[in-house]
Amino acid sequence: MEIPYTTEARPDTGLTNPKLGIWLFLASEVMLFGSLFSSYALLRSGAPTWPDQSEVLSVPLATLNTVILIASSVTMVLAWAALKSKSLPRYRLFMGLTLLGGALFLVVKAIEYGEKFSHGLYPATNNFLGLYFTLTGLHAIHVIAGMVVNAYLWGPGTRMWHTQPERFTNRIEVAGIYWHFVDVVWIFLFPVLYLL
Amino acid sequence: MTHDVAVHVKGYLAVFATLLVLTMVTVGVSYLHLPETPAVAIGLTIAVVKAALVAMFFMHLKGERPMVYWPLGLTAFLFVALIVCLLLTEADHLFGTRFDDAFSEGGD
Repeated sequence: MEIPYTTEARPDTGLTNPKLGIWLFLASEVMLFGSLFSSYALLRSGAPTWPDQSEVLSVPLATLNTVILIASSVTMVLAWAALKSKSLPRYRLFMGLTLLGGALFLVVKAIEYGEKFSHGLYPATNNFLGLYFTLTGLHAIHVIAGMVVNAYLWGPGTRMWHTQPERFTNRIEVAGIYWHFVDVVWIFLFPVLYLL
Repeated sequence: MTHDVAVHVKGYLAVFATLLVLTMVTVGVSYLHLPETPAVAIGLTIAVVKAALVAMFFMHLKGERPMVYWPLGLTAFLFVALIVCLLLTEADHLFGTRFDDAFSEGGD
């Protein structure tokens, strides 16, 4: 059976079904990350002492990762814009760059984790590191999940472009909305865990 | 149509540049080592502005249908409630109104 309303808006919601679906999913994601952010706020405000976060973690590496993730958000939206102007090769280029951005982000993150471990800093070391590894770990899982979807849409998924171009373009928009959400989470994690 | 997309692309690049500038500002401010309250206020304000730019332009939230705004508005409310309610359990500590501490310090 065909999924209804993938290209035209459903009359009662005014939206395509995938668009409504991704936003409802992201609403649940906000609450998932919200529970961890509130745990952070509670544990930090209740703690008699708190480590100087920018001393424990590497601000330069996190700044680099912020720039990488923002850039990959831009290439994601440019991939969608390429399909809007009917250029599959340009789409593939920008989607490829988006995947590269995600991979670079994970490499930098792995270097950071490795640094911590080599200094004997683990999630069990203290509350701050417990929160740091939980929040950034959950975020990294989201990056990986987004990359799996994006890789499919970059590779075999492009078949749909030749049969249902409009539906494929909407898929990229919806995958993009998820990818930008992952960027938004990082935009909050960066100051909260590294700078403040 | 093609013309429209070209205009969009310029807009996206402008948002990109703004996000990079705001990232540099927030990192720069962190090196000033301000007291905790202004540091948190500035850091979170910049993060909210950056997140809003991403949501409005990259996630196409600007000009989206009401059916997206309603659930998101409810989510935003619940998100704030989650943080505020938990923080209120530490309100005495945060606002310095824990009287038993004051008494025990004076009484020792």
